[in-house]
Amino acid sequence: MLLLGKIALGMTGVVFAGAGVICSEGFVQVKVIQKQADGHHINVIAPAVLGPIAAHFVPARNLDDASRQIRPYLPLIDTTLDALRQADDIVLVDVREPGEHVQVMKSGGSIVVDVDDPNETVHVSAPLRAISGTVDQLASAAGLQ
Amino acid sequence: MRKRLQATAVVFSLLAGAVISAAAPAFAASGERYLHVKVQDEQKGESVNINVPLSMAEKILPAINNKDLHNGCVTFHQAEMNGVDVRAILDAVRTAPDNEFVTVNEKNQNVRVAKSNGDIVVHVRDHNNHEQSVDVTVPMTVINALFSTAKQDELDVAAALRALGDTGNTLLVTVHDASQNVRVWVDSQSTAN
Repeated sequence: MLLLGKIALGMTGVVFAGAGVICSEGFVQVKVIQKQADGHHINVIAPAVLGPIAAHFVPARNLDDASRQIRPYLPLIDTTLDALRQADDIVLVDVREPGEHVQVMKSGGSIVVDVDDPNETVHVSAPLRAISGTVDQLASAAGLQ
Repeated sequence: MRKRLQATAVVFSLLAGAVISAAAPAFAASGERYLHVKVQDEQKGESVNINVPLSMAEKILPAINNKDLHNGCVTFHQAEMNGVDVRAILDAVRTAPDNEFVTVNEKNQNVRVAKSNGDIVVHVRDHNNHEQSVDVTVPMTVINALFSTAKQDELDVAAALRALGDTGNTLLVTVHDASQNVRVWVDSQSTAN
């Protein structure tokens, strides 16, 4: 009985540690609300650490083209993400038109894009570290980095 | 009674000193400067606000290498300057005292280019159809930084951004016409409000 208890405790510890690792990079959120009467409400929240991991497991031949395209811009992307990480929270771009509003902001270590137009509301939030990791995985996919 | 008042004053002074000491690092830490661009079209009800921390722009700019922009510098081609030595002109302007360099007054248009309080200022007023005005103010330190590179045909935009960060709150560009307003300025607030 005592042994079973120890096993259960160990497994619980592993689960919590795993959850901790998965949550350590934050979460990517994509939320789309269509404003039509029969419109869809989509809300996806995924651990950001899955981005680089998923990119790692995609066959290299499928990422070859994207990898080649992104490679020249890698120093710029890395520098931009690094500068954004060090910047305070800020609304970088705010565009308003009648019935439409677009915001791009840096908030708590994430890039957040909010779009509100007459048809739908879109909210995308992605941690900068996860974007950086995914881009690095993408760039190195074809062994070019 | 007097001693009690004195004691109270001393206690309050010490408290105030402690509060200021504690708050000082917080104020010192937030020394970030921001470049703001605001475009408003009141007739159409449209607006665009762009806010960029200058430190971020300083880091990103040297990473952009595309055509004439490289390592934070822009190359301008002497052939396009029609033989005008821009560096010599700016050197002359820099060493000149505050002065009106160009004043054009026409029936429907006024143009003024001057050096004022160490800034280069350009004012254009167009009284045709719709009243239009353009005001540009560029601190001389920014212009000096722009031309601080050793190469004759380069402008050091990254150095200009650094110089801009060292200036006080500065309204760089304002454009007004019948419906649109454009403002470009630098301050220490992260929002454009």
